[in-house]
Amino acid sequence: MKEIIRTEGLGKYFGEMAAVHEVNFTLKEGIFTSIIGPNGAGKTTLINLLSGYLLPDTGQIFFRETDITRMRPEKRVKIGISRSFQVMNIFPRLSVFQNILLPVLSCLDKNSRLFSALSHQRGAIDEAERILNEVWLWDERDLPAGQLSHGDQRLLELGIAVASNPQVCFLDEPSSGMNPIERIKVLELVKKLSVERKTTFAIVEHDMDVVFSLSDWIAVMNRGQIFAEGKPEDIRNNQEVRDIYLGEEI
Amino acid sequence: MKKALAIFALVFLLAILPQFAGKYLLYMTIHIMLLSLFSLGFNLLFGYTGLLSFGQAGFYAVGAYACAKILLAVPSLLVGIIGGVAIAGVASFLLGILCIRHTRIYFSMLTLSFGMMIFSLAWKWRDMTGGDDGLVGIPRAPLEIPGLLRLNMAPMQNYYYVVLIFALLAIYVFHRIVHSPMGLTLQGIRDSETRAACVGISVRNYRLVSFTIAGLYAGLAGALLPPLETTVTPPVAHWSYSAEPVLATLLGGIYTFAGPIVGAVLFYIMKDIIVRFTQYWLICLGGIVVLLVMGLRGGVLGIFFGKGGQG
Repeated sequence: MKEIIRTEGLGKYFGEMAAVHEVNFTLKEGIFTSIIGPNGAGKTTLINLLSGYLLPDTGQIFFRETDITRMRPEKRVKIGISRSFQVMNIFPRLSVFQNILLPVLSCLDKNSRLFSALSHQRGAIDEAERILNEVWLWDERDLPAGQLSHGDQRLLELGIAVASNPQVCFLDEPSSGMNPIERIKVLELVKKLSVERKTTFAIVEHDMDVVFSLSDWIAVMNRGQIFAEGKPEDIRNNQEVRDIYLGEEI
Repeated sequence: MKKALAIFALVFLLAILPQFAGKYLLYMTIHIMLLSLFSLGFNLLFGYTGLLSFGQAGFYAVGAYACAKILLAVPSLLVGIIGGVAIAGVASFLLGILCIRHTRIYFSMLTLSFGMMIFSLAWKWRDMTGGDDGLVGIPRAPLEIPGLLRLNMAPMQNYYYVVLIFALLAIYVFHRIVHSPMGLTLQGIRDSETRAACVGISVRNYRLVSFTIAGLYAGLAGALLPPLETTVTPPVAHWSYSAEPVLATLLGGIYTFAGPIVGAVLFYIMKDIIVRFTQYWLICLGGIVVLLVMGLRGGVLGIFFGKGGQG
């Protein structure tokens, strides 16, 4: 399997606190990867660094063989790296459809068009409609996104993340705040998208049943470092991981 | 269909207005159109991009002074207006580079300071601007396209038609802009800057475009002023003048296309009525704005189209 993202000695420090410290992490193409760990382990910071939302203090990030350590987030999207947010981050006043249309236009490099009518962007509209169907939001397409239920907003968030047609997509707790049924539904959708769209997903998730059933690879973080990674069964049997995070529940 | 009919009726009414209206009504209508353009541009920044500028009068003044200077040197209306707009556009582009680096209150304060800087220039740079006397004796030069036409602008109604045509064109262009992919992109930035960046939008560039377009509209409104008044004085650059599009937009509704236009009409009607009874008309206006902000965030059009109406 080819690697798609690689970090070398990646670090981010907030004062005395090492949020991410000396992380050497490799994401392989087509491998559904989960990043797990207790609260404050540095999972979200790692995603923020990889997506360009934060700049690292030390180390480097490579996308395929390109050094993207200091590349701006909007540029990273253009080369194929996308993300969703842990705290809801959608466009609340835009309609559900427009929420998806915007990243599609951006992906096609068409959002700087000043005078052409939106309704003439046929290609982008078709693609946005296809994604709306994929994330089961077709019936809600004309609602302002801010009026959707929490679960639907999470689906929309996922839709926005995949609408720019990324090669790698980081999802930060895609099912947070959902009930168990919605949670399984949304994570199965992620799995389905990863197969159909050939996007490599890396997700941060707290539901261990889901993590162990969906993932091909699991990285466990604690205190800013990745201290174990491997196939689900290896992680399940790793005594250290059980001590720190999993307890005896698995 | 209903909407198209209403717009057609309104344009028709405006077109035949000089046939039955007196000079004062025409004068008022021109001012309403200027404030409409001024407020539309302001609302591209505020309602569509989420940036509250308190310095738009600066660009209005640049347009007005530039047009006045040109008209004093070259008596051709079109050259004056287009020149004024272009210079205001350059000014807003350059100051925009500095202002759009910040958002929220920091952006507002920056625009306020740059606006007041332009005011100081108008006030102090006597050789160029005439200082507190302003520029006087600006000709309402004829509209001239060499070899094609020459229209005398001395009668107010002829100039009224020039303003009307500019206003209709500018409103049409504005409609195209906000319904284009660019318009959607600006609204996305307004809703969530971080999300916009994470779908591949270079937020600063789009903010700069929005700022420049707002400056061009302010400049156009400003450039249409000197031929009407035949003078330009520093108060047009003052921050209190920047408040007019803010108030008009809040009155009409910030999230509707026509909000600023409706607001401009209401603003002038209220000003005209209240001022007949008391010189403290601004207190009354302030009270109305307080009511609107507390009770009707969507402005007057928000009442009819719902808060998120796209009118």
